[in-house]
Amino acid sequence: MMERIEDNLFEFAEFDERESEHIAAPRYSYWKSVWRTFIRSKVTVFLSIFVIALVAFALIQPMHSGYSPTVAPNINNSEMKYLPPSSEHLFGTDNIGNEVWDVVWAGARNSILVSFVSTAIIMVIGILVGAVWGFSKKMDKWMIEVYNVVSNVPYLLLAMILSYVLGAGLGSLIFVMVCIDWIYVAYFIRTQVMIIRDREYNLASKCLGTKTFTMIIKNILPYLVSVIVTYISREIPSLISYEVFLSYMGLGLGTNYASLGRTISQYKSFMTGYPHLFWIPVLVLAAIAISLYVVGQKLADATDPRTHR
Amino acid sequence: MSEQNNREVLLSLKNVEISFDNGGKQKFKAVQDANFDIYKGETFALVGESGSGKTTIGRAIMRINELSAGEITFEGKRISGKLSKQEDTQVIRNIQMIFQDPAASLNERATIEYIISEGLYNFHLYQNEEDRIAKVDRALEEVGLLPEHKSRYPHEFSGGQRQRVGIARALIMEPKLVVADEPISALDVSIRAQVLNLMNKLKNEKSLTYLFIAHDLSVVRFIADRIAVIHLGRIVEIAETEELFAYPLHPYTVSLLSAVPMPDPIIEKQREPIVYADATEEKTGPDYAMREIRPEHYVYCTPEQAKRYAELAGQ
Amino acid sequence: MSEIIISAKDIEVQFRVRENYLTAIRKVSLDLYTGETFAIVGESGSGKSVFTKTFTGMLESNGKITNGSIMYHGQDLTKLKTEKEWASIRGVKIATVFQDPMTSLNPIRTIGSQITEVIEKHQKLSKSEAKAQAISIMGRVGIPNAAERFDNYPFQYSGGMRQRIVIAIALSCHPEILICDEPTTALDVTIQAQIIKLIKDLQKELGFTTIYITHDLGVVANVADRVGVMYGGQIIEYGTVNEIFYDPQHPYTWALLSALPQLGVKGEDLYYITGTPPSLFNKIDGDAFAPRNPKALKIDFAKEPPFFKVSDTHYAKTWLLDPRAPKVEKPAAIQNLHEKIARMTSKGGAFHVRTE
Repeated sequence: MMERIEDNLFEFAEFDERESEHIAAPRYSYWKSVWRTFIRSKVTVFLSIFVIALVAFALIQPMHSGYSPTVAPNINNSEMKYLPPSSEHLFGTDNIGNEVWDVVWAGARNSILVSFVSTAIIMVIGILVGAVWGFSKKMDKWMIEVYNVVSNVPYLLLAMILSYVLGAGLGSLIFVMVCIDWIYVAYFIRTQVMIIRDREYNLASKCLGTKTFTMIIKNILPYLVSVIVTYISREIPSLISYEVFLSYMGLGLGTNYASLGRTISQYKSFMTGYPHLFWIPVLVLAAIAISLYVVGQKLADATDPRTHR
Repeated sequence: MSEQNNREVLLSLKNVEISFDNGGKQKFKAVQDANFDIYKGETFALVGESGSGKTTIGRAIMRINELSAGEITFEGKRISGKLSKQEDTQVIRNIQMIFQDPAASLNERATIEYIISEGLYNFHLYQNEEDRIAKVDRALEEVGLLPEHKSRYPHEFSGGQRQRVGIARALIMEPKLVVADEPISALDVSIRAQVLNLMNKLKNEKSLTYLFIAHDLSVVRFIADRIAVIHLGRIVEIAETEELFAYPLHPYTVSLLSAVPMPDPIIEKQREPIVYADATEEKTGPDYAMREIRPEHYVYCTPEQAKRYAELAGQ
Repeated sequence: MSEIIISAKDIEVQFRVRENYLTAIRKVSLDLYTGETFAIVGESGSGKSVFTKTFTGMLESNGKITNGSIMYHGQDLTKLKTEKEWASIRGVKIATVFQDPMTSLNPIRTIGSQITEVIEKHQKLSKSEAKAQAISIMGRVGIPNAAERFDNYPFQYSGGMRQRIVIAIALSCHPEILICDEPTTALDVTIQAQIIKLIKDLQKELGFTTIYITHDLGVVANVADRVGVMYGGQIIEYGTVNEIFYDPQHPYTWALLSALPQLGVKGEDLYYITGTPPSLFNKIDGDAFAPRNPKALKIDFAKEPPFFKVSDTHYAKTWLLDPRAPKVEKPAAIQNLHEKIARMTSKGGAFHVRTE
């Protein structure tokens, strides 16, 4: 079995100790890794583009459509009413001669605006309060009691009452949603903080004299990116459906604002006669909510470093 | 007291008791009546098994745990209990900690540069950005790492390298006392030596004092000057290293030493471990106290036991 | 005269990790004899656990045996695929004790039921007979008041007690081979001594073969008849325990022994190994240990060394044993190992040899 091996191979090789400390792998960057993981799946990329297009369109189209819920220019033009979807009228027309296309996008715009803005405010307040709550054992003692009381009140009931009291409108609806929901976010963050608060690297920071606020920003929040994104991915579609529901019930945005909920409510009586009137807004609503949710989930997975290659 | 008279006491524990709340029920006493001094420049080892309270003591010195009784002093000044902000700052500057688990003790989302600079940021211990980066580079080189590592993240490193980052993080604060809580237990055997050598080298270069918390007696024998053995919250024996290994007196110490397997087949195959009969409850009572049996060798015992130990040790 | 009870030849194991393949075991052969204790020593990533998992078909789902055979009682274990095929072997003929007793036991079932479950599955006994046998085994492994503690839950036991139960479960069907995968690493040293003694006593009584996986050379010295040293997915040296400790040939074995703190001289540096183990995703040319070996030859980077015979029982996979290689002595630190350790344990030194 002895092949021809040159004798000079049996000399000592050079040995460099410092070389062994060198790390060969390319530098790791968390956000680059998130991006790479996110775009790995073609479905995700497609859906993301779809969602962005959908949201952009919903935000821009109503600004140029000239549609307003308080005006009905074709109300006396019977030829423009109840037209089915066609190449001229993409979604058809409704009972008062409005383009369903315009109505739906105007409603979608407001649903999206309300849910995005509310979610943003809810998350900021909830994270700040929740982080401090998770750290402070003293605050936990009384805050948990507050939470227990508040969380037992039926969400929808509270929303309806507040909505009724504050009246209809974009601003008041956002206010209602923020008021009700921030404490759930705070509680969620508090629990997450408590889980990682006593890990060794946080003790190490304490031993180095790091202040609590810095610890929240640098030690805790970066770990919570994934769970926060997960939460947002569920919160936005959830708030969209609440807005739709409230508007459906006649609360929520009120008659001055276009709303998918009110639209669906108005069109439901035509379900048998002109089904396109009912189903089109419902499907648009579903498309927005579901794709937002799925993209959000994919983003949540991508921000979890355990899924990184 | 003998030759220790001219040695300066850096840290002192007096009648320290640490207990934890079991949610209203009877408090659980993790540490009872702990007394020992650590002299400047020595490596003092605190040895015990899991649940002995050794980590609890270490964390109490770092002010992570509170004392329920007793006092800890550093350079003669009290560092336990409520302190003013300035006193607290002094403690942080003077006493630093090295943690056990290299995987959990570094912030995975922060760069090495930030991790090592964290203490510097907190007290603004640098003049400008250049100065800070120079300090970080120097700290990295001192522990055998490369300055290029500072832009990387902890998970890109091996366990041994991460532990060295933890050491750099502690030592950049230029403390006088370093509490090392099982710094090598989580490392592979061949890497442990590297970290131990590093700790020794840094101790000599920077005139450090170590409190070395461990459960591995073979390692402790190599690195420690004096050893305290702790069992179920009580310190049962304190002595200089070779003295302890030559004359282990407390029955728990004896059983602990006899349980350590030696890496020699001929010897090991002949040995029988000696079991400590009171393993679940520390033998104690009103007669028990720390008594000096041989010079600088203290054992927790009654007067009768003390006499017996002294005879056993040929005193 | 003991005979070979299980024979593994040229085993190769690969894991699929996302789109890459990791070769965890790179052609390992091993013969085990009845009644012996074989210790596998290595650090994390050396493959010691993975190798023994091939004996019980417990490789993770992304792992596959891509080469080799394991002959056991005339059957090639690498050919077994389904749970049914493994049912008569795993837990019955070949049992495993793992490191962490907390995760080896079901926390929501009583200790007794976990033992009787195994008994009932493999032996045709009635419930009361199984319970009696279980209590007897519990007593055998040193559980006091076994009959009363039969209905306790795992959380009511200490770590050492739980590991005794895990051993009891493993031995309940009288296996021929017991694989102990770092069974005492998570336990205190005093408990470790008791568990090691327990396994040894039971082995003497029941006559099974033990494979002991550990990184602790003290434990190896205590329990092993023969030792295999693993590095980078291969056994790089094997021999009797005396040969490995007193006459090691491979530089990695030298390094492991040199790093023992017992050999440290106060005030001097301890020996250590620089760098990190190799990545097993890549194909390794030559000796896997070469990059970390100050005594590496040029050929160590080029060609994988074969096993060189040191004695009938002792083989090492290093080019240093080739007749053309320069003469390299083992490091001074590990010469006269026995004398050095004996000096530490002599009278007046601790670590008593059995006297009182």
